[in-house]
Amino acid sequence: MPLLFCFPVSVCCKREPEVLGNCIWNIAMSHLDIILQQLANGVILGSFYALVALGYTMVYGIIKLLNFAHGDLYMVGGFVGFVILSAVSGLLGEGWAAITCSMVLSMLAVGLLGVIIQRVAYQPMLNAPRLSILITALAVSMILSNGVMAVTDGEYLAFTTDLGYDGLDFGNVFISYTQLMLVVSAAVLMIVLTLFVHKTLYGKAMRAIAIDQDACRLMGINVNRIIALTFFIGSSLAAAAGVMAGVYYGSLHFSMGFVIGLKAFTAAVIGGIGSIPGAMLGGLTLGILEAFGTQLPFVGSEWKDVFSFGLLILLLIVKPTGMLGKTEIERM
Amino acid sequence: MGNSTPREITGWADWLKPQRNRLLVLMVMAAIAMVIPLMANNYVIEVLTNAWFYTILCLGLNIVVGYAGLLDLGYAAFFAVGAYTTGILTSKFGMNFWLTIPVAVSCSMLAGIIIGGPTLRLRSDYLAIVTLGFGEIVRIVARNLEITGGASGLIGIERPVFFGIELSKGIHFYYVFLLLAICACYVSYRLQDSRLGRAWQYVREDEDAAEAMGIDRVGVKLYAYVIGAMFGGIAGCFFAAKMTAISPETFTFSQSVLILLGVVMGGMGKIPGVIVGAFALVLFPEVFRGVGSMRMLIFAIVMLVIMLYRPEGIWPRTKS
Amino acid sequence: MSRISIALAGTLAGLFLCGQVSAADLKIGIMVPTTGSEATAGKDMENSIKLAVDEINKAGGVLGMNIVTITGDDGCDPQMATAAASKLVSSDVVGVVGGYCSGATLPTLKIYGDAGTPFVVAAANSTKLIDANPGTSFQINSTGFDQVNTAVSLFAEKGIRKLAIVHQGDGYSEDLAKLTKDKWTAMGNEVVAYEVVNKGEQDQSSLVTKLKSTAPDAVFWTAYYSDGALLIKQLRQAGFRKLIAVGDGSNSPKLLEIAGKAAEGVLCFSNPTAEYLPAAKNYTASYKAAYKQAPDAYGPLAYDGMKLMADAITRAGSTDKAAIVKALKETKDFNGITGAVSFTDKNTLAKSNFVVLVAKGGKWTLLK
Repeated sequence: MPLLFCFPVSVCCKREPEVLGNCIWNIAMSHLDIILQQLANGVILGSFYALVALGYTMVYGIIKLLNFAHGDLYMVGGFVGFVILSAVSGLLGEGWAAITCSMVLSMLAVGLLGVIIQRVAYQPMLNAPRLSILITALAVSMILSNGVMAVTDGEYLAFTTDLGYDGLDFGNVFISYTQLMLVVSAAVLMIVLTLFVHKTLYGKAMRAIAIDQDACRLMGINVNRIIALTFFIGSSLAAAAGVMAGVYYGSLHFSMGFVIGLKAFTAAVIGGIGSIPGAMLGGLTLGILEAFGTQLPFVGSEWKDVFSFGLLILLLIVKPTGMLGKTEIERM
Repeated sequence: MGNSTPREITGWADWLKPQRNRLLVLMVMAAIAMVIPLMANNYVIEVLTNAWFYTILCLGLNIVVGYAGLLDLGYAAFFAVGAYTTGILTSKFGMNFWLTIPVAVSCSMLAGIIIGGPTLRLRSDYLAIVTLGFGEIVRIVARNLEITGGASGLIGIERPVFFGIELSKGIHFYYVFLLLAICACYVSYRLQDSRLGRAWQYVREDEDAAEAMGIDRVGVKLYAYVIGAMFGGIAGCFFAAKMTAISPETFTFSQSVLILLGVVMGGMGKIPGVIVGAFALVLFPEVFRGVGSMRMLIFAIVMLVIMLYRPEGIWPRTKS
Repeated sequence: MSRISIALAGTLAGLFLCGQVSAADLKIGIMVPTTGSEATAGKDMENSIKLAVDEINKAGGVLGMNIVTITGDDGCDPQMATAAASKLVSSDVVGVVGGYCSGATLPTLKIYGDAGTPFVVAAANSTKLIDANPGTSFQINSTGFDQVNTAVSLFAEKGIRKLAIVHQGDGYSEDLAKLTKDKWTAMGNEVVAYEVVNKGEQDQSSLVTKLKSTAPDAVFWTAYYSDGALLIKQLRQAGFRKLIAVGDGSNSPKLLEIAGKAAEGVLCFSNPTAEYLPAAKNYTASYKAAYKQAPDAYGPLAYDGMKLMADAITRAGSTDKAAIVKALKETKDFNGITGAVSFTDKNTLAKSNFVVLVAKGGKWTLLK
């Protein structure tokens, strides 16, 4: 962090040497603003990462699959939300009511899609080599993105809502109500998920399967059903994030799942893949890292990904299972 | 393709068992590969050159993934290091192309050591993300630096001269890549049953048991990495010479995934399988060119069907 | 295994057979991205070229021959582009029209050059293309240099001192950003921020915060409309009220649609698009009739490119490639819908056709 301060000092003071005293005071203040604003930016971005990372981590936890198609489910979620929003906007307008409605329906639809994908493409592969199922996931990812491309003719769709630009204004730090709502909805979804996993029988079954699938089968747990349920939940969380992204950023494209899929995967590993609180923490961490990476001293924002990937690698070298990952017991 | 396992196909398999017959088939295939460009047009040559090029990359990655069982999602990084080293040395320093090869290979091997050294203690999926991260870092560095030409990349890379002939036509590069692919096959083949190859197999099947038997787990993995990186580096050198212009867009995560796709779809750890995979990778999208914008969708569906019916790849390794 | 060999042999045979056209026709190649992220622009160009071909054929063809087109999809990717270019060259096309992404177009110039095939580059305009041109390619879009001149003179006119430049980390937008930066600092002004947005990354809020902290008088986005719209929206949301300008890659009604009211007042430096060209009325009408939508930014240039190619073949009086290249080189005030086309000795457009557009009421209108 101290490095962060050097940069504006040198820039500002070079420009106006005559008002040095004034300048330093300004920097201290304006700098606090920037730090807070970037923190807010990071948390918002991190919420998206966390929602998508949850799906990665849940699927990984239960069948040890890196589901490459997950980012594309986020994209499909956005498009389904768009279609539903256009359908209901006559009835409910383009405000929060319509958005909530389209988000819920999109979560259901994409959740089902996730289950179908699992049944068709992953179920038959469960006994195949682990890399083969990875390639299957890749094929599904390509089918989803190219399928949506064919349907939308490769066009960008504008997601229009009338949410306005109002927000909370703390001096130079500004957070719009839309951003606030998105963070709150992400938090609510994550709390519901945590409660579900820890307080219900299904959640218990899920955790049990992650530990030992065969034992679960012997104990009378319907393993396939629980795996399907996991896919349903993971996919619908991605869909929720997709609809939120549509609302917040205002555009949809068939390729939009790629970057976020990559980032969410990274976030899931930072947090410790397989760990649900880890995915949330990892998402927020990555979001905040990226926000501050943009502000790196001496270099431009073009290095921010090098910065966050570099820190990720360092973290893994120091703590090989991520922030909250369980240390695997090695057979000896 | 059906559900047939290799054991059911008795006729061919039995006939192929003796070394002599195998060699015959190989000779015939090599002869066909040598003759094809003489009667094909530029387009076919270009596509086949591309196929041989991916064969080299896939064989290189196969050493890491197929032999040593390490998931590498950033293989394009090594390929990039090779291509950029040659590109920079010839276009900025006017170095002779052939002299850049040893430099490029050393650089990519060094990259292999830098990436592998500290991270190979990690278990599979964490290793995957670390390699992915390194791949992205290499690409972004190439995009941001002045010497690598930034986002536009390098242009005007010198074409190599071979005994007075400038390698500039498609057919020249066809033979160059064919030759390299044959070398790559030979090296892969020799490695397969070498002491190192058996160590890799042991580590792949049971890492802890291998370690208990006195195999230096991290050491042999590092070998796999460095040898894989070397393949990528060499392919990169000639890629730069063939394209004469390289840019960071070529070395994306998707490129790494594509190479991995070739290895796994063809059959991990099996040399002919990997070659088939590399060819499938290049030929399928070209064959579907007629379908227009739907071709990647069709390619993806074909890929899914292949994986569902042959989960071990098109031509898998036989289990003993 | 035998089945595998049969399948492989089949695919190989397929490769040999594809792309056969009857010999009496005149074959023209179209090289544009029809898949991938830039497919929309590529298809628009393909449509426009086919429209031009239809018109030419209806009027009796060229040298008494019908024109047929073959499309090579470059996918906006250098590797795919070289395969596409070799395919076109191997199909014995007498000329190629197209070229959208500069990065993908770059390595193909040599392939066309080696084959002696004339190539009319309709859209791609990175200055890197000029040096890489072996002499058989002709750029009918104004180059990056022209755009930079238009841009900096406008900025100077508006009394701007501190400029922030943002590009997207690809060949085209980096080239434009760099040229602008050099020119602007050479004029004694200041570039306070020179930043990159990663392609496809939707959240640019942290970049916006950084840009705001450098207090620029104007922000210049040099890349494509899709991410540009997001940047404009997020800049305005964060309370940036000063000038935003975008380059020709962002000239699309989609930018206004996605950015909504945030785009109001945004300036765009662009080659002239159909609605500002009086000569393009017929083109726009027939495009709408044929494809049920309005043409995009590069349609008119692609259309002109095809017409220019046909004109050059007629002037050459033969389908000999060298003669066509020579005829193209000698082009003197070819009367296209985008303006008169003549070439410099480097085969670039002699006279800049850049205009400045401003977003008003959800539409691009001419500033001057």
